[in-house]
Amino acid sequence: MKPENPFVAVLALVAGLLFLSPVLYSIWMSFQTADAYYTGNIDFTFRNYEMAIGQYNFARYLVNSVIVSGLVTLIGLAVATCAAFAFARYTFAGSNLLFGAVVATLMIPSHITLIPNYLTLAKAGLLDTYAGLVLPAVSNGFAAFFLRQFIRGIPRALDEAAYMDGASPLKVLWRVIIPLSKPAILSMGLYIFISEWNNYIWPLVAIGREDLYTLQIGLARLYRVNPGEDIIDWPLVMAASTITILPVLVGFILVERHLIRGMMMGAVK
Amino acid sequence: MLRRMTPYLFVLPLLGFIAVFTYIPIAQSMNLSLREWDFLSPTKPYVGFDNYRLLLDSREFWNALRVTAIFAIISVPLRLLLALFIANQLLRETLVSRLMRGALFFPSVTSTVAIGVVFSWVFSTDYGMMNALLSSFGLPKVAWLQEPHVALWVLIFVNTWKQLGYDIIIYIAGLQAIAPELYDAAAVDGGRKAHVFRRITVPLVMPTTYFLLMISVIEAFQVFTIVDVMTKGGPAGATDLLVNMLYRVGFNLFDIGVGSALAVLLFAFLITLAVVKSRVIGRKVHYEA
Repeated sequence: MKPENPFVAVLALVAGLLFLSPVLYSIWMSFQTADAYYTGNIDFTFRNYEMAIGQYNFARYLVNSVIVSGLVTLIGLAVATCAAFAFARYTFAGSNLLFGAVVATLMIPSHITLIPNYLTLAKAGLLDTYAGLVLPAVSNGFAAFFLRQFIRGIPRALDEAAYMDGASPLKVLWRVIIPLSKPAILSMGLYIFISEWNNYIWPLVAIGREDLYTLQIGLARLYRVNPGEDIIDWPLVMAASTITILPVLVGFILVERHLIRGMMMGAVK
Repeated sequence: MLRRMTPYLFVLPLLGFIAVFTYIPIAQSMNLSLREWDFLSPTKPYVGFDNYRLLLDSREFWNALRVTAIFAIISVPLRLLLALFIANQLLRETLVSRLMRGALFFPSVTSTVAIGVVFSWVFSTDYGMMNALLSSFGLPKVAWLQEPHVALWVLIFVNTWKQLGYDIIIYIAGLQAIAPELYDAAAVDGGRKAHVFRRITVPLVMPTTYFLLMISVIEAFQVFTIVDVMTKGGPAGATDLLVNMLYRVGFNLFDIGVGSALAVLLFAFLITLAVVKSRVIGRKVHYEA
């Protein structure tokens, strides 16, 4: 890395902090008492977090978000990887058509499925269940497409060597393809997890029971508890907002480069 | 026999989910858009194109279309211009430029609800950051989210703030694909910076621009979360974007017929755009090689 012009460096850092200042300030505010905030003083406290987690049930929402996003990611990756393997390695009757049907879902806006999916799940008795949140989110055309492109880059000789040793297709997928596709699967896993973590409109439609709220729904409801903005307890709301942002923020700092690389590769589709 | 079935077994789960939760629902939406129903009554009488007629005769629909169009027409070029300019400054692999990319990119992967809540505070009339800033310059307070002429601009601002980093990252990928020899040649010819930018950078990054243009227009027509959190479509319909209207008609008014008709219209429009996108990109994408 080349040394920086210190003037440019300082200027850039100030600009970056200014850009993120609303979020940074909201985190700061979440550690202030409401009195201190409204009177312009500084009084450090954890009470907003205690209230959000205890009284306002955000511990429960956090668990719900982790369960739902985790399940969507695991099932979504499993389903997408299997399909990607078949589309990358087999030519079969209708394979082009079926692959086309998968890729076409990338162009289909999700709102067209909103009302019908609500009706389908209502009929199946799955509204207000984890399954109702997870099942409609599982199929991910982009992940299938992306993984298929990646698997095509793995030399076929590796599969064939395994078949010679008497391996079944499932074993080849599990022992050869998946280990070699780890970076791509990791990128897609992150992408699916974050998208699902931030999903709002579907849980809004599919969940009415308070104990099944995800963080996004819980936060939106907490913010709307008191109509008329003067009586909003902003420090409390910001504590809840920080709880919602934090897991992604921490993950983001840990794997930023994977994530950005994934996005860049995605753009080349 | 089993051997021939193998690939089908592998694709079956994915295709099953796609069929049940994507393709069949599209047909269902089309069917429901021709019926009158309120979620509850046992019958769903067929009413032909009445729902579409109702929609096209309503002021609400044209307002939502107008608001959404303004949102798209302002926010898309704004995003692209800013992103291209900033990406061009962040091409070098230095620590500062990497930190900046991270800072700019973070909002695009974070929770839209949380961003909406944070900016509701930033733009709140009595305790918000913006009005505190205005006051410190001796300027009067603005009721950012209660003023019909202002609220839409606030949403455009917040949406731009959130999505900008994604555009920047994609532009950086596009800019880094431009052969450095071209810049060297321009430098030898003594090209000025602005000139090089206009004559080399902008035309050669065109495929990326087309890509971003199309996806951000499609995105703009699907904005919902930020509206629901910050304004609920108000004040007086000033921020009533199409998907917000769709949600209201379907899930607050329980008018499944009109809601589905709106969904189908929006779907047809976005699919047309998506097809145009793949055509255009298919044509332009070989530019750089």
